[in-house]
Amino acid sequence: MKAILKQLHIALLLAPFAAQAQMPNDAIYMGKNQLCVAGMYSHSSWNQYWENTLKRENFNIGTQTTQSAMIMPAFGISKRVNVIMSLPYVWTSTSAGNLMGQKGIQDVSAWLKVKALIVGGFSLHAIVGGSIPVGDYVPDFMPMSIGMQCRTATGRLMANYKHPKTGLYLTAYGSYGWRSNAKSDRDAYQADDRVYNTNQIRVPNTYDAAVRLGILRRGWQTEVWAERVACLNGDNIRRNDMPFLTNNMQATSVGWYGKFQPHTIGVNARVGYVVDGLNVGQSTSYTVGVLYQISFKK
Amino acid sequence: MKKQSHFIAFCAIIIALSAGLNSCSKTIDEPQLSAYAPTSVDEKAGTWKTYVLTAPTDVTVAAPAAISSADYLAEVASLKQKAASLSSAQQDAVTYWGAGAVFRWNEIARELSARYNIPPASTPDGKYPVPDAANPLADPKFPFSNPPYTARALAYLSVAQYDALVSAWHYKYLYNRVAPGKTDATIKPLLPVSSLPSYPSEDAVVAAASAVILKAMFPGEVAYLDAKLAEHRDSRLWAGMNVESDLTAGVALGNAVAAKVMARAKVDGMSAANNQTVTAGMIQGAKERGLADVWVSQETPARPPMLPNYGAVQTWNFDKTTLIKLRPGPPPALNSPEFTTALDELKQINKSQTRDQARIANYWSDGAGSYTPPGHWHRTAANAAHDAQYSEVRMARTLALLGTAEMDAAIACWDAKYYYYYPRPQQFGVKTSVGLPNFPSYASGHSTFSGAAATVLSSIFPDKAKDFDDEANEASTSRIYGLIHYRFDSATGLVHGNNIGSYAVTRAKADGSGL
Repeated sequence: MKAILKQLHIALLLAPFAAQAQMPNDAIYMGKNQLCVAGMYSHSSWNQYWENTLKRENFNIGTQTTQSAMIMPAFGISKRVNVIMSLPYVWTSTSAGNLMGQKGIQDVSAWLKVKALIVGGFSLHAIVGGSIPVGDYVPDFMPMSIGMQCRTATGRLMANYKHPKTGLYLTAYGSYGWRSNAKSDRDAYQADDRVYNTNQIRVPNTYDAAVRLGILRRGWQTEVWAERVACLNGDNIRRNDMPFLTNNMQATSVGWYGKFQPHTIGVNARVGYVVDGLNVGQSTSYTVGVLYQISFKK
Repeated sequence: MKKQSHFIAFCAIIIALSAGLNSCSKTIDEPQLSAYAPTSVDEKAGTWKTYVLTAPTDVTVAAPAAISSADYLAEVASLKQKAASLSSAQQDAVTYWGAGAVFRWNEIARELSARYNIPPASTPDGKYPVPDAANPLADPKFPFSNPPYTARALAYLSVAQYDALVSAWHYKYLYNRVAPGKTDATIKPLLPVSSLPSYPSEDAVVAAASAVILKAMFPGEVAYLDAKLAEHRDSRLWAGMNVESDLTAGVALGNAVAAKVMARAKVDGMSAANNQTVTAGMIQGAKERGLADVWVSQETPARPPMLPNYGAVQTWNFDKTTLIKLRPGPPPALNSPEFTTALDELKQINKSQTRDQARIANYWSDGAGSYTPPGHWHRTAANAAHDAQYSEVRMARTLALLGTAEMDAAIACWDAKYYYYYPRPQQFGVKTSVGLPNFPSYASGHSTFSGAAATVLSSIFPDKAKDFDDEANEASTSRIYGLIHYRFDSATGLVHGNNIGSYAVTRAKADGSGL
């Protein structure tokens, strides 16, 4: 498989960022009329989180765990234009306390990835994506909710350099993410130090930036990465309160990614760890996937 | 060539994206409330029965200057000068406060209740520090504005507003000084003007009385409340609705009445409501009556129960003998078939809660960070009174009847909860989708608050009685769907609340309003 969406669970706290779990963030493309279907399992957990800037534990949550199973087809329209989709089923639980776990189908995502420019080993890519909630899950029972129940649109610019002989590569990208308002079951809620008398919740927009360094060879790939995902604004978790959709969540993560796919069937794996954050859990996450590639003859 | 086409596609994506984002509005629509001239000015309200004042003349208001006096004419001239150069912020303030004085201060009180409704965090040594009124902005903030605290804050607010307005109405019709817009045709008031005499200003009365109560209830918000008070007062000048002496007299009256109301609050027993030493006797009593497992805090570390002695706080619409008489009968024994049936229902919901059950549980959750069920019902009442275009004094009467009933409900419910000390479903392995309150189960507080509120509001707004009853039933059932109450907790609480509310209704029928 050539194209992979990794990165389930950026693993920010609180399930919501799991909504962005399926971002195409590599410079690898499927060939024309090639389809790759990935089945992925992801596990993310934290036992400490940043309540505003205060790093704390919570004995009434213990360890919060978010798991998901995701199907993710990627298709090559041409070798420079790929379409990628994903649909996860997500479930949450805690090791302590009495908050009821939530489960269900989350949001469907679609991405269009275009290799816009190639100069030697250097390439420039434009990626646009969007997601729409599919399941009717509750968005504001955080940290148990499985998603944020908002539509998203993301634009990403990615630059890549690959050394032709060794397969050594360096990728860097930055994105802007728009998120629609979400709707609560309640018709009043508190945010920004005031009460809003409406069921509409303004969910902050986001940006992200990442660098990845790795080696890509025929049949295998290994990579280390660092990434920052953050809201552009938002409020903070109040002292000893639960997180909320309006929070300014920020996280800096590091991790490793690897893939082994000698022929049509392959496997991949990813691990990530949040090293610093704001209004998010300090997650440790891993993803394992099975990849299956099909070629359609024209 | 190929390279070029990809570059064009790339540019197209960027352009499409930026265009798309610009058209995706993130505005939030909140209800906009407009000013109205009341359907009735309730000119006899100066004779209505007050709660704390013994007579509307307990506080004296001096006679105003005549509208022909030089002093008055100077005040009118000053109004015209202000109106000539209003900033947009001043116009916004006029619009905001124009929605109603009682209405806005009730809304402010709800907002403060929500902002202070967070249980203290535990310390590293496993203790829960008690909020300190002398140091309100330290961690934990004072107050922890939980449902009983909020019920009480809103009750005193509404009572102070009502008593002060009854007194104001007395003086308004005693002195009969007409509004400036009616003495000088060149004044163009920005809000609807009724036939109500303008001295003392009802807005200033409400603003001052409200600020006194709320500063006492939320001592960390003095600067915020002073700013609101000043803006409200000044907005009446900017709007051309009151002259300076209307406002000065109104503020003095509001302050004086609120001070009398606060004198009651200081000795109503709230200072002993969190007396944790009483719980040993309560637990012993419940066990002696045959309860096998008493309520135990489900938090880690175990949190002391919320306000165990709140049941001893002074009630409004009935006495302590009646409080005991109204107390619900005992809940089912833990080894009874009734209990098993109720617990099985919860286990079933725990396994397969429907989305609609979750929606109802969430809508009425009114938990931490919210203005609690009493705040929820105050909002319902304030909106209904606004829709009905009530005068300020009638709006205050409505909220005082509701507010005192809600505080009575809190007291009676807390009395029952700690008398029976009944365990929560979470002590039998049930989770929750709304968060678990830290006090005994029987009977349901939401149900008691909602039963009392629906009874009071149905009496005041008979056309909407069915809506209020439906809402109370749904609020009551929501606690079963949220998995924190047995069905008998909710059913009992609702009836208890109805009974409590009926005492406020009895008062309403006899308060001289004829309403």
